Amino acid sequence: MTAVPTSLSHDLGLTAWQVRYQQRGFWRNRRAAFFSLIFPMMFLVIFGGLQHGNTLDVRGNLSFIDFYTPGIMAYAVLLICFNSSAMVFAALRTNGILKRVRTTPLPWLAYVGGAVGSTLIVLVLSIVLLFAIGVPLFGAHVPGEKMVGLLATLALGAAAFTTLGIAAARLVNKPENGAGLVSVVTLPMVFISNVWYPMDGSPAWIQDVSKALPLRPLADGLQAAFDPRFGGTGILWRDLLPLAAWAVVGCVLMTGYLRSLARRA
Amino acid sequence: MQAIQVSEVHKSYGDVQAVRGVSFEVAQGEVFCLLGPNGAGKTTITEIVEGHRVATSGTVEVLGIDPGSGDRGLRDRIGVVLQSSGIQEELTVGELLEMHGRWYSRCLAPDHLIDLVELDAKRDTRAGELSGGQRRRLDLALGLVGDPDVLFLDEPTTGFDPHARRAAWSTIRSLCQTGKTVFLTTHFMDEAQFLADRVAVMVEGQIVASGPPEALGGRDELPTEIRFVLPDDVVLGELPPLPDSAVSADGGAILVTTSQGVAATNALTGWALQNRIALSRFSVSQPTLEDVYLALTETETASAEEATR
Repeated sequence: MTAVPTSLSHDLGLTAWQVRYQQRGFWRNRRAAFFSLIFPMMFLVIFGGLQHGNTLDVRGNLSFIDFYTPGIMAYAVLLICFNSSAMVFAALRTNGILKRVRTTPLPWLAYVGGAVGSTLIVLVLSIVLLFAIGVPLFGAHVPGEKMVGLLATLALGAAAFTTLGIAAARLVNKPENGAGLVSVVTLPMVFISNVWYPMDGSPAWIQDVSKALPLRPLADGLQAAFDPRFGGTGILWRDLLPLAAWAVVGCVLMTGYLRSLARRA
Repeated sequence: MQAIQVSEVHKSYGDVQAVRGVSFEVAQGEVFCLLGPNGAGKTTITEIVEGHRVATSGTVEVLGIDPGSGDRGLRDRIGVVLQSSGIQEELTVGELLEMHGRWYSRCLAPDHLIDLVELDAKRDTRAGELSGGQRRRLDLALGLVGDPDVLFLDEPTTGFDPHARRAAWSTIRSLCQTGKTVFLTTHFMDEAQFLADRVAVMVEGQIVASGPPEALGGRDELPTEIRFVLPDDVVLGELPPLPDSAVSADGGAILVTTSQGVAATNALTGWALQNRIALSRFSVSQPTLEDVYLALTETETASAEEATR
């Protein structure tokens, strides 16, 4: 009788193995791939094209593409980390994959890790593609040293939205309604978060609401990296702290949900 | 050591007692089949043994380990084929077997499994594009991928056409010959008859009868049934005396139930030949497993209903 190996390196190997198969599955689901990857690129091309050569006076004549490139990156984080995770984890529960996995020796966390790892690969690819559209096509400014702040903001944003997305799967009872439900929750936030439209000059109460939500600090933090008015490494605690707080909230909610999934009644 | 040992298991949900003191054992290499009407608690006890649920009281051991503990070593040695469980539909049959295989400490080669469940032509087909029956065969292959010591099969052939059922049965039977312990639930009596070494019937949360399918509920001692149709010009009164028999009309035919099957048959056929009487549609049969099952579940359900009244 061979005993099941239980070392950490073995489990990490299993997680990497799961990432591989999650990736294969992801790219074969054309609709999911379109919505999470092509959709943000399409927005950037449309907005970038519409406002080509225009500047944002309230932000010291910032070129619109330097507003949109990071804004759409924030949108991509929302779509890929939050929307997709919510859908994937809701499906996992409702279609019975969870039930199957639970009777196998695969550790539940390796399955979760595989799904999360696959999501992060898609996110990295999406950010690279958005750079590839924004910079050569429309002349967005490469952040340079502020790349540090950009990556820190992206990492915290990805952590916050992935954990919140997994926790939000709890609310989706039928996967076929999930996409609509998730959009209803996220779309109003997208409108007031400097993603599709600059919030400068909006009423104070809307500003307060949007700053309390996680998308606004993500968009603001990324936009600072493209904005010449901000210098240094682009690390802005103004945005990183709220994102970190949301990541903590997300972790707590996600852990509770994942525990409830693993529990035997 | 028994492969599965269940003793005095109770499971209640609020006020509802789904399982009320169930005990049974399954020996290593045995094919054990749980029968029972819907709502009898069959699924609940099955899920407890599989480790999906934990019992309210009582003890369960599979290969000496409590399945409710979620022990990884145990999960490495069992295979569970659920009635309906999800799958990554974008992955192909071959990829899914490969992916699942790595989860176990020992595993069977995808090609071997695909061969076993006769999905050769579907190796590169995505799971989402398989027909219902093909999907069940993939489920079976996935249950076997870790070369389990104990295999759980929950209604493995529901939705199969007769040919596919026969094929699945011979696959399962050949598995049994390799020494695997099989825990089977089914609605089909012929399936239980064909596959099981031992059958237990569950009604209202309790096991009401168990034994080999040939002897369940004293089936081997139940009266033999002889059926035939008399020609129009012969009346019932002309029949010869039959040993320890009861004669009744069964639709258009005559039904003789007797504990002396051989003697009664001999008396009847001798009388018919001697008098040149043609007995059409002549048959001699033992009650089927289904007859016994229906009798067991009907009386038990009725008495249980009476008790609650």
